Amino acid sequence: MCLRNLFRRRVRTFLCVLGIALATTLIVAIGATTSRYIYVIKEMHTYFSGKIVVVSKGAIVIEAFPIATGNLPQTMVEKLKQVNGTKDAVPMLFIYNFEGALEALPRNFTIGIPQGNWSALVGFTPLKSGGRWPSANESEAVIGSSLSDQFNLTVGDAIKLKDYDLKVTGVLNTSSALLSRSIIMPLDLVQEIYGYNKLVNLIVVEPRGEVNTAKLAERIETEIANVNALTEDERTDLARPLISNLETWALGIRTVLFILSMIFVTTVAMMNISERRRDFATLDAIGAPKSFIFKVVTIETGLMGFFGGLSGILLGSFVAIAVASVYTGIPISLFFPGIFDITPPILMLEILASTVAVSCIAGIIPSIAAARMKITEVLRAEY
Amino acid sequence: MRIKTVDLTKIFHVGSSEITAVNKVNFEVNEAKFIAIVGPSGSGKSTLLSLIGLNDYPNYGKIFIDDIDTVLLSGSQRRKIRLSRMGFVFQTFNLFPTLNALENVELPMALANKSKGEQREKAVRLLEAMGLSNRLFHRPKELSMGEMQRVAIARALVNNPELIIADEPTGELDSKTAKEIIRLLFDINRKEKTTVIVATHDEKIVDVADAIYSMYDGKLKLEG
Repeated sequence: MCLRNLFRRRVRTFLCVLGIALATTLIVAIGATTSRYIYVIKEMHTYFSGKIVVVSKGAIVIEAFPIATGNLPQTMVEKLKQVNGTKDAVPMLFIYNFEGALEALPRNFTIGIPQGNWSALVGFTPLKSGGRWPSANESEAVIGSSLSDQFNLTVGDAIKLKDYDLKVTGVLNTSSALLSRSIIMPLDLVQEIYGYNKLVNLIVVEPRGEVNTAKLAERIETEIANVNALTEDERTDLARPLISNLETWALGIRTVLFILSMIFVTTVAMMNISERRRDFATLDAIGAPKSFIFKVVTIETGLMGFFGGLSGILLGSFVAIAVASVYTGIPISLFFPGIFDITPPILMLEILASTVAVSCIAGIIPSIAAARMKITEVLRAEY
Repeated sequence: MRIKTVDLTKIFHVGSSEITAVNKVNFEVNEAKFIAIVGPSGSGKSTLLSLIGLNDYPNYGKIFIDDIDTVLLSGSQRRKIRLSRMGFVFQTFNLFPTLNALENVELPMALANKSKGEQREKAVRLLEAMGLSNRLFHRPKELSMGEMQRVAIARALVNNPELIIADEPTGELDSKTAKEIIRLLFDINRKEKTTVIVATHDEKIVDVADAIYSMYDGKLKLEG
């Protein structure tokens, strides 16, 4: 009955569902994009656990990774090794490759690590079968799985970086957002390709087992000028405001869109019930309980929310992929297998449930108006 | 069902003026009677039927149904009486446009929490009795005026009411169809022992009624 009532005013119902669908599309797209960013930031937190990351003073850092300004001379590694409590220090050079003004995330990362220190970054991440790490003094690189899939590269293929021809010696078997888009090679090779003469932008310090990392970080900052030594907690604190801002914005936009949807549904439902005054008055006259009338209107608005939400989730998932594709330069087709990573099912369900709930709430005022209709006045007006 | 009204009065406020639609009506109907109320438009017939049908509250006076003062009943108790003991037939049929004939008839039974099987069986039987066996799955817009009114009567009968209130049931119908509808209401009254109160201009109804009342300026008078 409720569904047929909605079909009775097809154009109006369609427009209402479309409005909800568009609002939901935005909610899903924004939600999925922010979740993706937050996921990437949180993933960064998993690197260099228990270690101190030393960066140039003034460098902008997200979790462990410097994203702008400030390099360190490679010679600083030796100074760091002299600091009491340091077990080891590994320099790294991160180059973020952006292409195009629209990109908010880099297309890929070139990472330089001294020969033999690969595990300082990749941990236990294995190479796909047949791969090996680059040899010393050779123009070789290991690439991430996403780059391998996108450009159909395998072990033995050649890639060109700036004017340098490199040979792919391995493909990282990982779904990590950072590593899957990385080109990893010896530090001196990256310095040569990108003109960073004996410069790095990150040094990972491993404390000795018994040493308090916070105290070691303090010592490093005291003994070596113009550096920031960031412990794991400090790195988390640096990222927290960014995550919090992203979440707040997403929540704010979602709230505004839900309110707009609610107003939209309420308006359409009010129009519907004012047109069907005689139906509601007749229901009342033949003895239908007020709860029945209330239920009819609420189910109708809930159905509009359901259909709008469902269409919006499908459309929004596609938009989220398109946005991710534009920002990262990765072709849309590569995102489809991982659509549930971009728009997790739990996010889809949460948004669908919220849309239906918001639409049902939007139906409260119209359903009260329908249930409170004075039978005699309505029926008299019809004559 | 026995109905008795005592000094029943209903006043409407329109702007600053008062309209007494029903003015101290004293009226009594015993079981299984066919009552016709005649009178010009605006004389208060529909308002009186609304009050008797418990769709509205009087300003003054009482309505007793089987000696129960209905003015004292709660909204939900009045609703239950309307659903289980009364049936309504309107001039403009008031069928639900999105439901087919069968579903329109089943609805009051669904509201009375009857089983799906019982609803279907009873609705089909009633519609067949109304000569609508080939119109069960037609929506109101696909039915003629007479067919619509027969569906409305079937809907009014489906919960076995003791009282049928019909407000101008033939007002929208041509004379041949009107005659059929009157015959139908009369048969229901006689066979089912259902009390029927009809507000009408139609003289054909007046011919078959057990008692005829006239209404003018809110006053009710027994004519015969």
